[in-house]
Amino acid sequence: MAAGQANRLPRGGRIDRSRPLRFSFDGKSYAGYAGDTLASALLANGVSLLGRSFKLRRPRGIVGGGAEEPNAVMQVGEGAAARPNLLATQVELEPGLAARATRGWPSTRFDIGAALDSFGRILGAGFYYKTFKYPRAWWKLYEHFIRRAAGFGKAPDSPDPDRYEHRNAHCDVLVAGGGPAGLMAALTAARAGARVILADDDVEFGGSLLAGGDAIDGAPAMDWVAGAVAELREMPDCRLLSRGTVFGYHDHNFLTIVQRCVQEADAAAQGPARRPVAERLWRVRAKRVVLAQGAFERPLVFCNNDRPGVMLASAVSGYIHRHAVLPGRRAVVFTNNDSAYRTAIDLAGAGAEVAAIVDSRPGGAGAIGQRVKELGIPVLAGHVVSDVSGRRRVRGAGIARWTGEPWSAVEITLRIDCDLLAVSGGFSPAVHLHSQAGGKLEWDESQLCFLPGEARQPHDSAGAGNGKLSLGDCLADGLRAGKAAVEALGLNPPEIEIPATNESPAAPIKALWRVPAAKDADRCPKQFIDFQNDTTVADIRLAVREGYRNVEHVKRYTALGFGTDQGKLGNINGMAVLAETLGKPIPEVGTTTFRPAYTPVRFGAGAGESVGALYDPVRKTALHQWHEAAGAPMEVVGQWHRPRYFPRNGEDLHAAVARECLAVRNSVGIMDASTLGKIDVRGPDAVNFLERVYTHNVDRMKPGRCAYGILLGEDGMVMDDGVMARLAEDRFYLTTTTGGAAQVLDWLEKWLQTEWPELEVWLTSLTEQFSTLAVAGPNSRALLEKLGCDIPLDRESFPFMHVRTANLAGMPVSLFRVSFSGELAFEINIASGLAPDLWRKLMDVGREFELTPYGTETMHVLRAEKGFVIVGQDTDGSVTPVDLGMNWLLSKEKDFLGKRSLARPDCLRADRKQLVGLLSRAGCTVIPEGAQLIERTGQRAPVPMCGHVTSSYHSASLGHPIALALVAGGRGRRGETLFAAPPGREPIAVEIVSPAFYDPKGGRQHV
Amino acid sequence: MSERIARPHGLEAFFGAAESASRDGVEIALLKNRGFLNLRLDPRRERTVKAAEEVLGQDLPLAANSFSGGKRRVYWLGPDEWLLETGAEEAGALRGELEAALAGHHAAVNDVSGGQATLRLGGPEARTMLSKGCTLDLHPREFAPGQCARTGLARATVLLACIDEAPTFTLIVARSFADYLCRWLANAARP
Amino acid sequence: MLLIECPWCGPRAETEFSYGGEAGIPRPADPDALSDAEWADYLFYRSNPRGAHRELWNHAQGCRRWFVVERDTVTNRIAGSFRLDETVPVPASAAEKQPEQGD
Repeated sequence: MAAGQANRLPRGGRIDRSRPLRFSFDGKSYAGYAGDTLASALLANGVSLLGRSFKLRRPRGIVGGGAEEPNAVMQVGEGAAARPNLLATQVELEPGLAARATRGWPSTRFDIGAALDSFGRILGAGFYYKTFKYPRAWWKLYEHFIRRAAGFGKAPDSPDPDRYEHRNAHCDVLVAGGGPAGLMAALTAARAGARVILADDDVEFGGSLLAGGDAIDGAPAMDWVAGAVAELREMPDCRLLSRGTVFGYHDHNFLTIVQRCVQEADAAAQGPARRPVAERLWRVRAKRVVLAQGAFERPLVFCNNDRPGVMLASAVSGYIHRHAVLPGRRAVVFTNNDSAYRTAIDLAGAGAEVAAIVDSRPGGAGAIGQRVKELGIPVLAGHVVSDVSGRRRVRGAGIARWTGEPWSAVEITLRIDCDLLAVSGGFSPAVHLHSQAGGKLEWDESQLCFLPGEARQPHDSAGAGNGKLSLGDCLADGLRAGKAAVEALGLNPPEIEIPATNESPAAPIKALWRVPAAKDADRCPKQFIDFQNDTTVADIRLAVREGYRNVEHVKRYTALGFGTDQGKLGNINGMAVLAETLGKPIPEVGTTTFRPAYTPVRFGAGAGESVGALYDPVRKTALHQWHEAAGAPMEVVGQWHRPRYFPRNGEDLHAAVARECLAVRNSVGIMDASTLGKIDVRGPDAVNFLERVYTHNVDRMKPGRCAYGILLGEDGMVMDDGVMARLAEDRFYLTTTTGGAAQVLDWLEKWLQTEWPELEVWLTSLTEQFSTLAVAGPNSRALLEKLGCDIPLDRESFPFMHVRTANLAGMPVSLFRVSFSGELAFEINIASGLAPDLWRKLMDVGREFELTPYGTETMHVLRAEKGFVIVGQDTDGSVTPVDLGMNWLLSKEKDFLGKRSLARPDCLRADRKQLVGLLSRAGCTVIPEGAQLIERTGQRAPVPMCGHVTSSYHSASLGHPIALALVAGGRGRRGETLFAAPPGREPIAVEIVSPAFYDPKGGRQHV
Repeated sequence: MSERIARPHGLEAFFGAAESASRDGVEIALLKNRGFLNLRLDPRRERTVKAAEEVLGQDLPLAANSFSGGKRRVYWLGPDEWLLETGAEEAGALRGELEAALAGHHAAVNDVSGGQATLRLGGPEARTMLSKGCTLDLHPREFAPGQCARTGLARATVLLACIDEAPTFTLIVARSFADYLCRWLANAARP
Repeated sequence: MLLIECPWCGPRAETEFSYGGEAGIPRPADPDALSDAEWADYLFYRSNPRGAHRELWNHAQGCRRWFVVERDTVTNRIAGSFRLDETVPVPASAAEKQPEQGD
């Protein structure tokens, strides 16, 4: 089964050799083991060419071993379950896994765009901005080809079958990163009794220790890791999240972690209902945070440094120790610091020939240099690898002596054949989360990296991420950070000894930001800084020549740090080259801003369970089941689902609405108006309070009286409307619009609590308590009488705009004689639990009157026939009551919210848009709602617009279409002709009329 | 007035046609025949508090986010607002008694029995289930028996109360959201 | 997501709250006595400071109380939450603050 894995070492590694498995890459089948990543398995199979670069289509291979990998970007899976843009270094190998390179169209090996590489000089920074700009109309064409050639992953075009969930969590200490420092910090905090969450993005805890070789307390370091993890697992208040990437550090110590969940069984076989969670998004609120995410090794910037086979030294060590993969047979190691010497030792130990260590430092390494010498590995101190040969695979390194002068040209005097070039340019602490949290960064000149500086939130950094690069320092720093965290929480830190390590002191790193080439920096072969975005030294220099100075501008111009990279691999090299080009110190140039997400996060994880039926709450009235059974299509109003119409015998909307309208006008209809907001207002100051917020004279209402009321914002604009009923001297009942229910209550409370706390008023929402059944039509009184009502309903005993409590069919109700249809009507308020019973009884008794249930659409037509507005449809937040012709509602005797604004000059303009009715001259056209109104046809664009249509319906009662509109100065223009101009249609001639189309005197509702 | 809440469909995925079920470490039950009164008064007015407490026969919980047990549960909703949970048949009479006792006081009593749906949640995984949609810290030390909170659960506002250490929770939600919330619970109950 | 201390319910997630704008802008006692400019000042103009900001929040999903939060608009750090009937202490002096670099 292992056949073909030519680079697999016969022994060792943390792979499970008892579980061989097969996977495919670009359609070809390969063998690997459980415990492999996609990257390690591909390396084991000798697959070195993995894709093409973003812009220049250059062949690329695996560079790194984790989140910093720039090239091995994969599309994993097929069809709906396909996941684009995963890093092969982070994809766990699974049986049957199918991966494709996302970069490289039409194929990885034959790339039509490779010719672009030859035009590299033309395709410099800003090329797209400069070239594909004109003519503007062509941009869509350019975009199509550029996007296709760029070869990003393909988003699946059918619903994601995977299941995701969100989980909220709280802890005392969140530790991000489970390497030596993170484990030490977590142990310290947990032993002190803190609630701890430890998250690590890898499959196993251990961090850098997984890459092997280290010893702690005289034993393999992974033994210590196993012990620490076992202890933490035993603690009840400690949660360990492996495969959990902390990707966002937000305000107030709120962090987001995406956890890839282990799929024990075949997910599809479980069926959709029992499908296990694929990814879990943790939303963590932590009291303290310890960031221990380690450091990223930097590549070195030399000519053709992007050739497959040029890899980070630490990644090479990781593949050898963790995956038992030897990525090359004959290696050159190129470094400016001591760490890569260990890689040379690892390579030699794994059986590779290490042709040379090329060390840019004249003095070479510290104590480890001796060990290398003992192994017989030649060291070329004071030398650099200036160029490499080979195209699809590195074939040799061109080596030059270097004096230390940054931009000088050098002469290649030695060429060494190799198929692997392991490079190390030093380490950059992963300061991403620290920086996301608002923490400052400080340049450390001795270690040549940005270190986390002052924190803005209660967090701390530890380990390599804090610039502690030796194992001993990491453990000590983890302990320190753990202790600091528990002390800040007021807990007693436990006594813990720092485990012993056996490291020798290292010689200092020496700056080598850009390796000198045989030609000057602008003419030499490409020296890549950001592999993923094809950003080179020459690009940064070009940006500077073209006037860019600010690091954020240079980033955007050159694409440095875009994509999944987000500055992990090339950022610091880029800043340093920019600084050198500008002749400024690095800290003065600074870094770009780090933002979430640290690594790509699937949209599915962001959405969590909020998909399908759970996307948004569906609010249902107590009568919903009846409506559903009656086959009513639903209209979504806010979160409510309301019946739109009740079709009979296959009627369409138009036919059903016409029938429902005529039933209300001629006999009686019934509507579920339960979604209206309802507020109980009580207290000795109730009148005083309502006088201040409503525009009409509240005090004049006697108990038992109803009034139409509007609420204005302080800007004088209509905010909401409804019915106000005075139930007693000190008690009122308000209704609000369906959409305004919650906001109006909050708004009233705001005035009461912030401005008038002295008023003795209680507000209680009764929206859910009461259902509202609107019974409308000339037969509505007869219907209620027939049903059995214990109070007289005649016009004299119970006049229009009054409220009564009563027993209807033996059930306690409040009856409101209000009308939104212009007909004799009663709104019945009844406890929601009883509403279905009452509705059924009404329907039974109502047969005699052909009682017709009607929906929101009919309600809209009926009210439009009367010229009644719907706030939010006929108004839009810029409409005053004067614009609506509601001056009669505005009390002259008192102040009310918004009153002063009505006297502002803008509100007094004669040409404000005012509510009018419209009739089409042709008499049969329903004008589309939203259509703009113009004075005359045949004008050249841009045509001045004088208003727009807000409501438009066919009126069955009148036999012709009607519309409401807001028209500049409209009220004074009755009888004039305008044109409605719906896009793409012939203008429609319309006449301005009164908005009250039906029964303008209002006689029908008063009967 | 008897309270008749239409059974939310949402729980069918969890317990079919039954009224409760226990699965995967979660127990969910729909509680019927509950009555609710909303009470508003200013707790700084001792006479008013006393008048209410005499009718109730128990203390009004004055500590934020707590509830008092006894004959009926009285949940703190806000510094001047409580929710009284009673049997459905009792709510009307209790409202009358309270209104009578509080006449002349600055107080408001509203029967809100028709506006709520009540669920009982329990089982070893109940906290896990709730944490999928609730940002409260539900750790047993932080949200202990006797505590309640009006808070968000998924996209609904709920009153959540911790009844005992088992743990058992009571969840009270506005009637119109019940179907959605039950659907959400049935989904969140999956391991 | 902010963690906001409700003066009654304690710290709760931002999603439970609704925002009410700058605090301490009393409604003029006699709006009719104000000039258009003075009324516009009350209606539209806010201090929009860089640094300490007093603002109203409503614990909409909780106890439904409005209260005052002092939040630093640069760091989002919350100095305190106050009930409307409490005397709100003098804010951390804006003068002490170091001017920071633009983002």
